[in-house]
Amino acid sequence: MESLISDLQGASTTVQALAVSAGGLIGVFTTLAVFFLIIAVSNRLGKKSE
Amino acid sequence: MQDLLVGFTSVTWQNFVMYAVGLVLIWLAVKKGYEPMLLLPIGFGAILTNLPLSAVLSYGGEPGFLSVLYDAGIRTELFPLLIFIAVGAMIDFGPLFKNPVMIFFGAAAQFGIFATMIIATLPPFNFSLREAASIGIIGAADGPTSIFVANLFAPKYLAAISVAAYSYMSLVPLIQPPVIKLLTTRKERRIHMEYRESNVPQWLKIAFPIVVTAIAGFVAPISVPLIGSLMFGNLIRECGVLERLSSTAQNELAYLVTLLLGITIGSSMTAANFLDLKTLMIMGMGLVAFVFDTAGGVLFAKFVNLFLPARKRINPMIGACGISAFPMSARIVQKLANEEEKGNIILMHAIGSNVSGQVGSVIAGGMVLALVPLLAK
Repeated sequence: MESLISDLQGASTTVQALAVSAGGLIGVFTTLAVFFLIIAVSNRLGKKSE
Repeated sequence: MQDLLVGFTSVTWQNFVMYAVGLVLIWLAVKKGYEPMLLLPIGFGAILTNLPLSAVLSYGGEPGFLSVLYDAGIRTELFPLLIFIAVGAMIDFGPLFKNPVMIFFGAAAQFGIFATMIIATLPPFNFSLREAASIGIIGAADGPTSIFVANLFAPKYLAAISVAAYSYMSLVPLIQPPVIKLLTTRKERRIHMEYRESNVPQWLKIAFPIVVTAIAGFVAPISVPLIGSLMFGNLIRECGVLERLSSTAQNELAYLVTLLLGITIGSSMTAANFLDLKTLMIMGMGLVAFVFDTAGGVLFAKFVNLFLPARKRINPMIGACGISAFPMSARIVQKLANEEEKGNIILMHAIGSNVSGQVGSVIAGGMVLALVPLLAK
């Protein structure tokens, strides 16, 4: 990971932007996927308790 | 005698251009009704700050009142965060809890942020990574996040980025429909979506803002001020025991901070800051960001439909609501659905996607804040 970051630090601005975009989109999808799981599990628990 | 005429002798043609810009913003607010609460104060602030030897910025070596507001509210990032508390108190996550799949559109519609960031680094624009990230974040369709990121990464473009963000948010009814129509067939726009009414347990409504804040804090600690403020406002709304505070956040706090935020942003629109080619580029790229956001959401919905049985297909217009412009985007999509087929109600799905966009845009802002400093020289 450290070496990837140091490689990217020496890369062109566009390559850095591509890396931020890839990391950013993965991060947003992953974080929201976790929220999705929390809501889905909570809904299931709610229905069971009813 | 010369001292008496100093106002006339020190005015420049650039100041007149900025008066015109200010008047256009006021005209858009008053005549067209585009985000009047923000565009009017921004427009007037632009005029104030460009008056000769403007005493609102400094007078006799002391900071003027708009400089004081700028230092206290924008430089410290206090105003955008206070606005987020108000916004959080206005959001009802209920439609999202009833149909949690919509949350993924809040992620897909952030595509414009990243696409625009890449474009901004290419010739002839050649913005630095920090500047490009600040320009891309206009695509968050979320004023406070745009201000927050621009203030950290590209303060000299703060005025242009804020004006672009709020202007395009107000122009969502004009920007989104042509993009949606270009990317979808009539048949797709007529897809019906079933909506089942169900009760959301109170404990989920209370736990959600706390859990989201905690997770965001672990994933992107730098995003905590943004997501924490938004979710604090939402917790006040949903806890059920702070109705007066919730009402205050939604009304008095929102109005007061919006008023101060607008005129303070306007004060950063000095001719020297605003009148250059890069401002025009930023305004153009802001529009590109909104178009790519809409396209990203719609195309993602079409992609998901490839794996769904015919009766469970998603109306791809729902994807366009994944931007943060709430509730405008959801209303537009419902209007389009109704135009295609009278009585096709997809509003609750659209709202679910739209509130997801609010969370998604803040998370995207947090990702940008976390990743850019790692790589930027």
